Amino acid sequence: MSSMTQNRLFREYKTLSENPPDGITAGPVSEDDMFHWEALIQGPEGTPYEGGVFAAELKFPKDYPLSPPTMKFVGGGVWHPNVYPNGTVCISILHPPGDDPNHYEHASERWSPIQSVEKILISVMSMLAEPNDESPANVEAAKMWRERRSEYEKKVREEVRKGLGL
Amino acid sequence: MEPTFDLPDSTDWLATPLKLLAPLESSLRCQVCKDFFDNPVITSCSHTFCSLCIRRCLSTEGKCPTCRSSDQELKLRRNWAVQELVEAFTNARPSVLELASGATNSAGDAEVMGEVNTEQPASKKRRLEDGVNGAETRTEEGVRTRSQSRGITLPVQPAAIEIIDDIEDEEYILDDGLVPCPICQRRMKNEAVFRHLDTCNGDQNGPAESKQAAFGSLSTGPRKATRDANPNPPERLPAINYSLLKETVLRKKLKDLGIPNWGPRALMQRRHTEWMNLWNANCDSRTPKNKGQLLRELDVWEDTQGGKSSTPTDTTSTVMRKDFDSVGWSASYDTDFKQLIVNARKKSEAAVRSTIPSALPADSDEPQSAPIVETAVEVPTPIYAII
Repeated sequence: MSSMTQNRLFREYKTLSENPPDGITAGPVSEDDMFHWEALIQGPEGTPYEGGVFAAELKFPKDYPLSPPTMKFVGGGVWHPNVYPNGTVCISILHPPGDDPNHYEHASERWSPIQSVEKILISVMSMLAEPNDESPANVEAAKMWRERRSEYEKKVREEVRKGLGL
Repeated sequence: MEPTFDLPDSTDWLATPLKLLAPLESSLRCQVCKDFFDNPVITSCSHTFCSLCIRRCLSTEGKCPTCRSSDQELKLRRNWAVQELVEAFTNARPSVLELASGATNSAGDAEVMGEVNTEQPASKKRRLEDGVNGAETRTEEGVRTRSQSRGITLPVQPAAIEIIDDIEDEEYILDDGLVPCPICQRRMKNEAVFRHLDTCNGDQNGPAESKQAAFGSLSTGPRKATRDANPNPPERLPAINYSLLKETVLRKKLKDLGIPNWGPRALMQRRHTEWMNLWNANCDSRTPKNKGQLLRELDVWEDTQGGKSSTPTDTTSTVMRKDFDSVGWSASYDTDFKQLIVNARKKSEAAVRSTIPSALPADSDEPQSAPIVETAVEVPTPIYAII
């Protein structure tokens, strides 16, 4: 099982480095530990996140791909309704189909062993563009996004600039 | 780049002119492990996976990973056609990839492969001619590299073809103008057969030449059978409804199966499930492994996910265990707990202030969101996990 898990992670790494989707890079932090990855996601164009580069860490369970990895933005987190203030990403593809703590996700949107790191990162990218405020991980950000959109966008843009060291 | 990084993969084709083979190879790989199908089986919803992969999925979730329709392990059926496809493809893969990569090196042009492909059926003689005279004809066309690539790659190709020991070849018929006796198989002249039949006692130990013929015809039967299926496949293990078994019974059951029976009940259940998956997937194999090999695979599982794994994957289940050392736990995490309490107090005070601004006018000047975010960064994750 373990070698199966490692081989699968190697193959995903290989596919991602040889044929990366636009605006996404990902790979293990060290070749010795395939269960700990680092990813960089570009802020989607036409959103307040545009121009930003967001670093995240992915941690894989030993029974991957039966269970999903966890994903956490590092370096200050991301102001977004679906990102916990500590940076942990909360989207349906990262949730195992067994439990639905939020009672709103369709089973079809959730984790399945045929999903992949690539699909997770693409989902996170589209999550940045289109927040889901039905089950906010960051209530403050969700409220601001819903009620004071311009303030929300301003805050995000400021954070993006700060993140780039400007 | 790194030693383990050379795992064969469908992306290997992307750097060659045969890019279109990448999706073909992907479709011969299991969606769960991304490796070539190993003992492929098909589900009731007609999705194909490795036997072991789908058994593990079904025992954790009971659903097809692709379409999420419910399925049972018992309904899985072997998919021989896919197995043969994988075997044929993996046999051909190295030589095709080598050929394709060679073509890329001499001319990174998709056209080249297209042309080489069409020329493959051509006779050896024609290829040789191309190698010699081709340069002139190609220069007229203005693409010199084509002839070069052909000159390099094609002569290599016949050597790469594996000679498959075909069973049909052994079934040859001696063309010696004689006919065999229908009883003893001894070969003789046509006119002699009737006279011989009157005295034939069926003894097959005749002259050497007749023996050879008899051996040839007899041997094909049993050999084909072993290729198609194992005559005595190991018996499958039934699933157990663990909730109906007492712990002692379960422990005995594991012992009877010959697998480790130590550890708490939950671990024994998981170990039994893994063993059942390993065992039953092995039953789907054309060349089943012996029990020793399966036990070694179970050892690997034990080291990575079972009782010997260094990082317990599920902390809640350890905390819930009867023999859990609560005193030791609270001692080792004492500072963390205190910090959590301090943070929680801070946070609830902040919440009180923000909901009743008039109660504490001095603090209400501060922007409400900022302090919450700041404490939020300090507070360890569990607080947010509860929300």
